[in-house]
Amino acid sequence: MQDSYRNPWLYGAGWAYLLLVVAALLLPVFYIVYISFNEFGFGARIYTFTFDWYRLIGADTILVASLKWTLALAGAAMITAVPMGLLAAKFYKRTRRKVAFVFLMLSPLFVPADIMGSALLVYFKNLNGIFEGLGDILGVSWFDDWFGLGFITALIGQIIYTVPYAFVLILITMSRYRDQQTEAARGCGATGWQAFWQVEFPQIRVGVFSSLAFVAILSFNEATRTALLKGGFDTFSNVLVAQMLNIGMSGESYAMAGTMTMIAILVIGTILVVTLATAGRAGRKALPKAEPVATAS
Amino acid sequence: MASHPLLRHLAGEDGIRRWAFYVPVAFMVLFFAVPVALTLVWSVFERTIFWMEPGFTLDAYVNFFTSARAENYLFSMIHSAVAVVVAFTIGFPVAVFVRRRVPTAAQHRVILLFIIPFMISELVRVFALRPVLGRNGLLNSLLMKIGITSEPITVILFSNLAVVIGDVVSFLPFMVFAGFLAMEAIERYVFEVCDDLGSNTLRTFKDVIVPLAAPGIFAGSVFIFVNSIGVALVPTILGGPGAVNAGLMVNQAIVALDFPLAMAISAIMMLTLLVLLFIGHRLFDLTKILQPIN
Repeated sequence: MQDSYRNPWLYGAGWAYLLLVVAALLLPVFYIVYISFNEFGFGARIYTFTFDWYRLIGADTILVASLKWTLALAGAAMITAVPMGLLAAKFYKRTRRKVAFVFLMLSPLFVPADIMGSALLVYFKNLNGIFEGLGDILGVSWFDDWFGLGFITALIGQIIYTVPYAFVLILITMSRYRDQQTEAARGCGATGWQAFWQVEFPQIRVGVFSSLAFVAILSFNEATRTALLKGGFDTFSNVLVAQMLNIGMSGESYAMAGTMTMIAILVIGTILVVTLATAGRAGRKALPKAEPVATAS
Repeated sequence: MASHPLLRHLAGEDGIRRWAFYVPVAFMVLFFAVPVALTLVWSVFERTIFWMEPGFTLDAYVNFFTSARAENYLFSMIHSAVAVVVAFTIGFPVAVFVRRRVPTAAQHRVILLFIIPFMISELVRVFALRPVLGRNGLLNSLLMKIGITSEPITVILFSNLAVVIGDVVSFLPFMVFAGFLAMEAIERYVFEVCDDLGSNTLRTFKDVIVPLAAPGIFAGSVFIFVNSIGVALVPTILGGPGAVNAGLMVNQAIVALDFPLAMAISAIMMLTLLVLLFIGHRLFDLTKILQPIN
């Protein structure tokens, strides 16, 4: 059998297949973005480009409020899940029980959203009952509603969901970092914090910033866990689900889906461009430094 | 900087900073492992009108196994298995191609292409299939335009087929990622040896690639299988009235305020996952997937 390296047709077919799979995954999404700009919506024979459906979103107070809640949740998830992912990645390097630790950190990926959300819902309701009971015994109201469904419980659900991604992304970047550099920095008199901030962090920065963006997008897109744990407010995804199931697919629904898509593509596109540019720059920088070492050896 | 020795100790590397590394573990145990483990306990609690109370009853399990729910669960397992096979057939060759044929420096960048569909909301990706698969959708328009059919096909959307398509579209990137991660653990010279020995593509794939990449394939498959059974969004949006999976059953039980039943279904779901992971680990040693990270 002829190797595809030597057979440009086979090699080209491989690339064509790969791009076809990516296109098949993206085509439906781009199609709804296309529909979202049609004045007459889905199924119309005439296509007239308009921003009207997007203007409707801007004018809808419920949607604007839900967007604010969504952004607040995404922001809170970013500032909690990413440091936690970073700490987890550092812990992974130190611990001897790596398999058990990785199993714990990555297990949420394997637990479906509805199962996790419902388990947390019942857990928080029980915790809330326990804390309120404790408050009654002590005669104080301070413990009331600590775990009542609301922003904090929704945030905890989102942290559980997003931490595994932050952990993996940072761990991958960290795997290229040599611990001897920290030892060298400590040997030169740096404190643990200085060694981390001035030596290690610049080298894992890409992973940390990528996970910030990933967590933001994952949180922005999340619907199921949040729906079960949010209590009295609505997020953008929750409103979209409610619209789809109760009203049907309106032009506004398409525009909402389009908004979510464009935000995701914008953020991920930026990460990809920055990551690729950084990798290219690092490669160009590393080359002149590496050459003398190679010559000397 | 703290001046008191105790404060200095607490702020130092043996104090709070050291314990800070345990925060993720504590958080995951408290808000992930404990609630998931407790589903088993809550599943045997007694149901009250609006909530449940401590006790021991197997009513929720009897309810599950003696109603149509058990049958629906089995059906959703079959659909999920089909989704896994389809995702493997489509996604794994991508991982193999990237690892074998794309230059090493560019491999991760190519795999990053699959991040884009993965990071677009699952809700949007599933929702987007409606205008594609529907009666007046893109697929029917295309089929009629090229003359394959003269009438729109109406059996795709709101059917089990649509649920399988939705599951594949939702979770396919995971098969590519897990497959690629497993392929990364295989040294490239292995493929060169196969080529030098004149092994054809099919034989190399069957006898060399699949056994060596088995941990990744298994991890990707379990992910797709479990999520296909457990994510309610796909049958809710794409399935017909009879399309139900475990996630949807849990949601319905919660809406009906039957919390022990919801927890029993969750516990059965978690048990399914644990059994699969245990079998997979015994057969393929799933820790091998982490080799590239180590």
